Amino acid sequence: MGSVYRLTLRQLSGRWRLGIMAVLATLPVIITLVTLASDEAPSIWDFDTGILGTMLAGSILPLVVLAIGGAAFGNEVEDRTLANLTLAPIARWRIALPKLLAVITVAAPFIAVSAMLTAHVAFLGDTRATLAVTMSALAGVAMYASVFVFLGLVSSHAVGVGLLYIVIWEGFFAGFVSGVRLLSIRYYAIAIMHALDPRRFALADDTLPAVAAVVAMVLVTGGFLVLATRRLRRMDVP
Amino acid sequence: MSAVPDTMTAAAPPAARATRTGAAAPVISVAGVSRWFGSVVAVSDVSFDIAPGITGLLGPNGAGKTTLLRMITGLAETSTGSVAVFGEPVRDNPPLYRRMGVMSEHETVYGFMKGRDFVRTMGRLRGVPDLERAVDRAVALVDLEEAQHRSMETYSRGMRQRMRLAATLVHDPEVLILDEPLNGADPRQRVHFKQLLMKLKAEGRTIVISSHILEEVEQLADNVLLIVNGKLAASGGFRAIRAALNQRPYHVRVVCDAPRELASAVVTLPSVDAVHVDPDGAVVILSRNVLDLQVELPRLAQRAGVSLRRVEPLDDSLESVFGYLVEG
Repeated sequence: MGSVYRLTLRQLSGRWRLGIMAVLATLPVIITLVTLASDEAPSIWDFDTGILGTMLAGSILPLVVLAIGGAAFGNEVEDRTLANLTLAPIARWRIALPKLLAVITVAAPFIAVSAMLTAHVAFLGDTRATLAVTMSALAGVAMYASVFVFLGLVSSHAVGVGLLYIVIWEGFFAGFVSGVRLLSIRYYAIAIMHALDPRRFALADDTLPAVAAVVAMVLVTGGFLVLATRRLRRMDVP
Repeated sequence: MSAVPDTMTAAAPPAARATRTGAAAPVISVAGVSRWFGSVVAVSDVSFDIAPGITGLLGPNGAGKTTLLRMITGLAETSTGSVAVFGEPVRDNPPLYRRMGVMSEHETVYGFMKGRDFVRTMGRLRGVPDLERAVDRAVALVDLEEAQHRSMETYSRGMRQRMRLAATLVHDPEVLILDEPLNGADPRQRVHFKQLLMKLKAEGRTIVISSHILEEVEQLADNVLLIVNGKLAASGGFRAIRAALNQRPYHVRVVCDAPRELASAVVTLPSVDAVHVDPDGAVVILSRNVLDLQVELPRLAQRAGVSLRRVEPLDDSLESVFGYLVEG
């Protein structure tokens, strides 16, 4: 399993990819600084829904994870090196799991640092709020990573399909149709953030209960990992 | 290029392999296998058994060889039929890959890796004990010791193929499946590769090698499977296949100064089955004995006072040769 993990880390650590991730990850911090420096500083509610909910959890986080997660299998299917792994005498979950862990390993630092700095600046060093934002962002990384790793196995246009999912489902429907939030990774992450620091983030009516969000996180991450394993067992490997 | 070194000895010796696999039992069994993609039939109801030794899978480009090999290796699902290796279904059976080495036709290497790192990674994935020694042996087998610490991006195509072969051999597999392995190899590398395969065969391994070039397979294979249009056109020893190929009817086009006179004279030859004059004035002869025709035609033309300007085979392409066997 370590071999697949190390191999995937090397595959995903191209300079261009990491450079773009770094630029994306700094955006929430820069926008927070600009917002706070303006004459009309935002309320906690505005900051929660605007920068944390929409920008970080709804855009930057999934985009960063898509760029990395979609390539984990997608690039190997495209350049036909996936056969090097599937022709090895190892169970298919021992290919899918290290791939997922490698994606989380590469994506998590960018998102964690971005979330931490954004919250630290916005909440003036409040440790609990900073931890809540960071931990929920990391939960989002795990969920999105599992979805996009699977997507890379089932579609040769993983990035395009992933972008449509982020914009249409997580951005539009989940943002405007409250019932869809029950099936939205973005809102699972936000619910975890609210649960970790309820004094800072006043619970909104449409926020999922913390237990439900954690269960959903486990189901999404584990479920798509199972689907990726199943796909590896049944697919025609190019 | 140095001589082929001794091959792997870390795993079971050849005698043990023969016992383990059973002398008479087929190592690979393909039973009624078909595969289609939508309305396109790539492989149609193919059945055969493969025993230890070298088996050549021969056929023109697009015949279905690669699809068939992908099903034999478990990379692709069969639409109907079954494939077994050592009596076990090959599909969704990863432990079987401990005993199989597969080299696909595509250059499946990681450009960012050095050659040795690639072989080591493949060995680690296959759970090879005493990995560094196994890598040393595999790299020596393909004679790439000097280049092993270079990035594979700097390799020629032939070198990449050889390093891929080292990665295929690193876990000392009993079954080797090689899809067009001589692609990109220069003549010297081909000689070395053939020596290596003969050595591996002598150790009792089962080797399947695909090619669209008759001569490549002729020099190596004990047994030939001829695939044309997704069907098994012929199988057996190479001499039998070659004899069948030589007996096929040839169309020969003859350009001369008196086509009608030549046509009426040539039809009397025993080597000629049919003859006609085509609209542009050339004589087209159908012969089942083209060797005799080569001797008889110039003599006949001389006797008839006909001047031959050009004699050319119309259907000497590999596809037409294979096509004859299917239709026959």
